[in-house]
Amino acid sequence: MQREILWTGIGGQGIQLATELLAAAAVAEGRHAMFFGSYGGMMRGGNSDTTLVLGDAPVQSPPTIGATWSALVLHPAHAAGTLAKLRPDGLLVANSTLCTDIGGHPGAVVRIPATELATAAGSANAVTMVALGAFAAATRIAALDTLIGLLPEVLPAYRHRHIPANEAALRAGHRAAAPLVDAWAASGAPEEAAV
Amino acid sequence: MTAATRPDRASHAARIMPGPAAIAEAMLAAGCRFFAGYPMTPFTEVLETMAARLPEVGGVCVNAESELEAVGMAWGAAATGTPAATGSTGQGLSLMQESLAEIVYARLPLVVLNMARAQGDYFQATRGGGHGDYRHLVLAPCDVPEAVELTQLAFHLAEKWRSPVLVMGDYYLAHTHQSVTVAPLDFGPLPPRDWALDGRSGGSGAAKLISPLSDAKQRHAAGRADAGYDLAEFYHRHVAVMERMVAEEPPRAETEFVEDAEVVVVAYGTPGAYVRQAVRELRAEGRRVGYVRPITLVPFPSEIVAAAAAGGRTVAVYENNQGQMLDDVRLAVLGAAPVRFIGGLSLDASGFGIAPDLDVAVLKARIAAVHDAAAPAGDAGHDGRGGAA
Repeated sequence: MQREILWTGIGGQGIQLATELLAAAAVAEGRHAMFFGSYGGMMRGGNSDTTLVLGDAPVQSPPTIGATWSALVLHPAHAAGTLAKLRPDGLLVANSTLCTDIGGHPGAVVRIPATELATAAGSANAVTMVALGAFAAATRIAALDTLIGLLPEVLPAYRHRHIPANEAALRAGHRAAAPLVDAWAASGAPEEAAV
Repeated sequence: MTAATRPDRASHAARIMPGPAAIAEAMLAAGCRFFAGYPMTPFTEVLETMAARLPEVGGVCVNAESELEAVGMAWGAAATGTPAATGSTGQGLSLMQESLAEIVYARLPLVVLNMARAQGDYFQATRGGGHGDYRHLVLAPCDVPEAVELTQLAFHLAEKWRSPVLVMGDYYLAHTHQSVTVAPLDFGPLPPRDWALDGRSGGSGAAKLISPLSDAKQRHAAGRADAGYDLAEFYHRHVAVMERMVAEEPPRAETEFVEDAEVVVVAYGTPGAYVRQAVRELRAEGRRVGYVRPITLVPFPSEIVAAAAAGGRTVAVYENNQGQMLDDVRLAVLGAAPVRFIGGLSLDASGFGIAPDLDVAVLKARIAAVHDAAAPAGDAGHDGRGGAA
């Protein structure tokens, strides 16, 4: 079984970091992962996109893909290409604070006021962590505790002072979303988590 | 056949790692203790990781003042028997070509990385831009786990044959994270490093010579103490080893669906992973297509390509360049099947980033066009479900 997750937003929202965190969590839970990131030259405001593929077997997907099981849209500015790849029955997670019009996706949609919740949790920069927390709650793609436990690993040491803010954002997103689907329902149980 | 073997489940030792860090860790696992390079995207991240990691294991990494100096430093380290590596992008490797040719003739083990931009360096890698009649092995991974395996294999082969081995990476490999376990791989025993310089100099009675001009002076010939070198003897002995290396090392390639394929697509490196996905989707849609992904570029898997092309099928070649490996595919097929080029240089504005053509939908359309054009008249060339005329 393979799950594709495309993320899109703008520089500064933490797209690359959150993707790496989910990839690390999936690996810690016994799965295989591959992700490819691309971003504009600007530190803030340019596009920031990632392709993440998780699977029970070694991932043979090329680094970029044409169709996805899910999409996380944190900002509408560069989202058109990502939305075009979302399968009709795919899951869309949208940052409703900024994405007021994401078009008519026929599949499931999780609207989460991620910027608002991140600000309330202490850091507007942790917006993608809110979305990741919500995505994890809606899909059980990875356990919240696994994600939180890996923050010290994916954040460089000089950023460790931001761990509490990122943990608070993950928890806020996780509380805000209801279970919707089980991402791995049709797959075997993963190996015992290493974290 | 594929060289890559991977567990079905990620082991707990698996980590999500960016390509350059995984390659660097693979070099350390293979015993590399000297690395020199000069920053150039997308090679820079390999150099950065080696700079951080090599001192931790007692090795030395030098950020040289140019690629020319980097290869010279690596040459010197290799001459002492220290497992050594250097690298760059194709641009930087251009600067190293003279030295690489000399290192081949000096018969020194050295691993060379090309974290290439697009695939324009196929000729540079397989034909070489240096002087003389030389060859060295070239390995081309398509993803991070395979890069970890082939990087370690490169160190083994370099030492086995006392020759440079080039590992051909690319921009995608340098910017993709993948779950991978890096552990030392055992490729078998190696000959002793009795050729390595050990500090004993002339007059000690145990001096050694490592030179692209010869490894043995002629002494006492014609009544003189030092009669110079017999270059003909040296070069003939050297090319015999080189020929044996290319002939004996098994070509590696991954193939799928070639047994009944009407169109076989040949592609290497990351583009090979895109072609694999495109072919699998076309198969699922009913078109009889297959692929060959060369893993060794030298030796080129000519017999595997020829076997896949047997029966007069059409062979399509995808490369992100104007057609370089295309020549090797044509030589492999020797006119037994039509060879169509479906590649071409594809770059983003930066000149080395995301290639617009590396899109499964784009490749599917090109392969399908070759397939449908090759189908006999009145036959859609697939099982008919697609309804092509």
